[in-house]
Amino acid sequence: MTSIYLLIPLSIGLVAIAVWAFFWAVNHGQFEDLDEPARSVLEED
Amino acid sequence: MAGAAVGEFALEGHWASESEGQGHAVFDAEGIRCARCAASIRTGLAALPGVTGTEINVVNGRVSVNWESATVSLGAILRTVASLGFRPVPLAGDAAAAARRDERRASMKRIGLAGLGSMQVMMYAAGLYTGAFQGIDPQVAEFLKLTCLLIATPVLLYSGAPILRGALHDLRRRTLGMDVTVSLALVLAYAASAYNTLRGAGEVYFDSVTMFIFFLLLGRWFEMKGRHQAASVTDALARALPATASRLVDASGTVETVPLAQVRVGERLRVGSGQVIPVDGRVLSAVAVVDEALVTGESIPQRRVGGEALLGGSINAGAALELEVTAAPHQSTLHALVRMLEHAQSQRPRLGLAAERMASWFIVRILLLTAAVGIAWLFIEPSRAFPAVLAVLVATCPCALSLATPVAIAAATSRLARLGVLVTRADAIEGLAHVDTVLLDKTGTLTSGSARMLGVRTRGAIDAPTALAIAAALEEFSRHPLAAAFLPHARDGMRCADALEVAGQGIEGSVMGQRWRIGSVAFAAGLAPAGSLPPQALAADLANVTVALGDESGLQASFCVTDELRADAKATVRRLRDLGLDLRLASGDRHAPVAQVARELGLSGFEAQLRPEGKLDLLRSLQRDGHRVLMIGDGINDGPVLAAADVSMAMGNGSSIAHAASDLVLLRETLGALPVAIGVARRALTIVRQNLRWAAFYNLAAIPLAALGLMPPWVAAIGMSLSSLIVVMNARRINRVDPAAPESVHPLPVGAHA
Repeated sequence: MTSIYLLIPLSIGLVAIAVWAFFWAVNHGQFEDLDEPARSVLEED
Repeated sequence: MAGAAVGEFALEGHWASESEGQGHAVFDAEGIRCARCAASIRTGLAALPGVTGTEINVVNGRVSVNWESATVSLGAILRTVASLGFRPVPLAGDAAAAARRDERRASMKRIGLAGLGSMQVMMYAAGLYTGAFQGIDPQVAEFLKLTCLLIATPVLLYSGAPILRGALHDLRRRTLGMDVTVSLALVLAYAASAYNTLRGAGEVYFDSVTMFIFFLLLGRWFEMKGRHQAASVTDALARALPATASRLVDASGTVETVPLAQVRVGERLRVGSGQVIPVDGRVLSAVAVVDEALVTGESIPQRRVGGEALLGGSINAGAALELEVTAAPHQSTLHALVRMLEHAQSQRPRLGLAAERMASWFIVRILLLTAAVGIAWLFIEPSRAFPAVLAVLVATCPCALSLATPVAIAAATSRLARLGVLVTRADAIEGLAHVDTVLLDKTGTLTSGSARMLGVRTRGAIDAPTALAIAAALEEFSRHPLAAAFLPHARDGMRCADALEVAGQGIEGSVMGQRWRIGSVAFAAGLAPAGSLPPQALAADLANVTVALGDESGLQASFCVTDELRADAKATVRRLRDLGLDLRLASGDRHAPVAQVARELGLSGFEAQLRPEGKLDLLRSLQRDGHRVLMIGDGINDGPVLAAADVSMAMGNGSSIAHAASDLVLLRETLGALPVAIGVARRALTIVRQNLRWAAFYNLAAIPLAALGLMPPWVAAIGMSLSSLIVVMNARRINRVDPAAPESVHPLPVGAHA
């Protein structure tokens, strides 16, 4: 059962990374427009 | 914070106005979440001497204030709002958009942290629950609880911050809001769990705490999205105007670029091809093609000949044009529209008031009930008292109840805006849903208001083309809608220099060295000595309008002019009847043309030759018989009738939109949106009723279960959140396009980032 003392801190670390990545994405406007970028690749310049 | 906001305000101009010692402003207040917040702002501002009225909309966080400029300043009002814990933000400018973006991002981060955190905590909690049944090393259990504490702490302090702050504000103002009961539950559960973890014995509720926060934030997220969507409709309009204009300095065509605010009435501007027309004006160029899609929603570019009106906010779709400014920038149609919308969005509908009162009445009872439950359990079984108190607090949160009406009304308003129907009064949607009789005006409503020449009869002294050319030279000076039928027949070199319009009769002037009169038969015959020619000699088809032309020797010609039915009038009438509505036609025109229109549309009930008072009498008698009447008119001539109707809708055409004194404005020159709008209003009302019934049912059902200890706190958290989510999602159904109703109209260009 000692493995749990390694795995649980590891899981907390992973969550911390996920939270950091999500905050980064929000701060950089990744969720501002979910429709237009998908369409813009199809449009000609 | 408040200081910065007040500073930004000084730069903006159109959101606040002062005239004759009276100030009026509309702004967003960040942080408005419930009826209590609104009530605290209202009482706070009412305490300021000089503030004469405050209207607050909980759904979109919009505040509208009137004040006497002699006693109080706008700065003092904004400072008061800020001191109450709400951040005032100017409307419809970049600042408002940026504020909405920040609000959106902050909520997203809070939800993200709460979601990830609650997933983690639930995983560890699953381990603890299984351990409780299968046996677990107490050291491991203690470790898991500590981990839960570690994750739940940032979730409570960061994600739950708006809830806790709201509760603190409420307590400081000595009021009770929804945030108070929710925060009480959160803090109690968290503190007990942390204490039990640290002392190494007893229950922990970290999973309930994180999950409750996550679901609460999710419900608020959807409510916020609806609010932002409604605001972005107005923003799209307000942002349509450019910041500068090209002003013509002299006759040679030199232009200078000036800020739009400096443009004055009477000045001449140049608008390049493809550019936005910055103000209301008159075309000076011979012909212009404009795209008014943004202002009226009309998707087909319109042709305007010299002298005709241009709307600020429309796009010059043709060659470069010159115009003369007819209204100052802040008085333009577009600004009037924006102000009208903002005012409507800041009004609180009757429907919402009832639900709000119910929710605040509820909260006091919940707290009393919670205390009673806690005390009762202390006598029965002290160990179960705490979970029962938590469950009651969480399960009875009246979030769903207070959201039920405003979310549905907001969704219906933005749905109608996309149909080209502007809601200018908050109660209009409820009224529209209850309507059973529709009173229609003829000219400009069922008919397009643009006249067509059917035929000419002359007495032989002059030929038909000449008669038409003379008539056109005179009618050029007329403001009557029928005059448009003559203009295409104008001839170069045949002009009238001294035309004089006799209101309600016609025009007199000289053409080719001779005096002429055009207008009603009696008026036109008036130039000649009495009895020289019997007027009826030239009377034309009675079903249409007859315009007569006469000179000093008597009547010379008569013109038969018709005002055609709108293309979609027939289909609209049929669909209105399918909705179970009784249709009546009320017109000021003569009997024959009105009967003709009624016959074509298959309307049995019609009244002709009604003066405005006659229409009013008809309306009143319908209302006395218990009918709820929707009056549709052109918004100007029908003013008193529109005002007296249960609900009124004005046909918006051009610059008259702004003056329409009606509850709803049909922005497009088509009737097709009308049956769809009634359908939307009815569906909105159905959804409000469903929502209220559901919320009341849930709260009544959950209370006994929670009080008896049959509902653990985490089930209560899910139940409460689900009931709010159901209410919000149910309201969003209004926005769904109804497949049965053909969407023949183009949507208003709402910002894509809703």
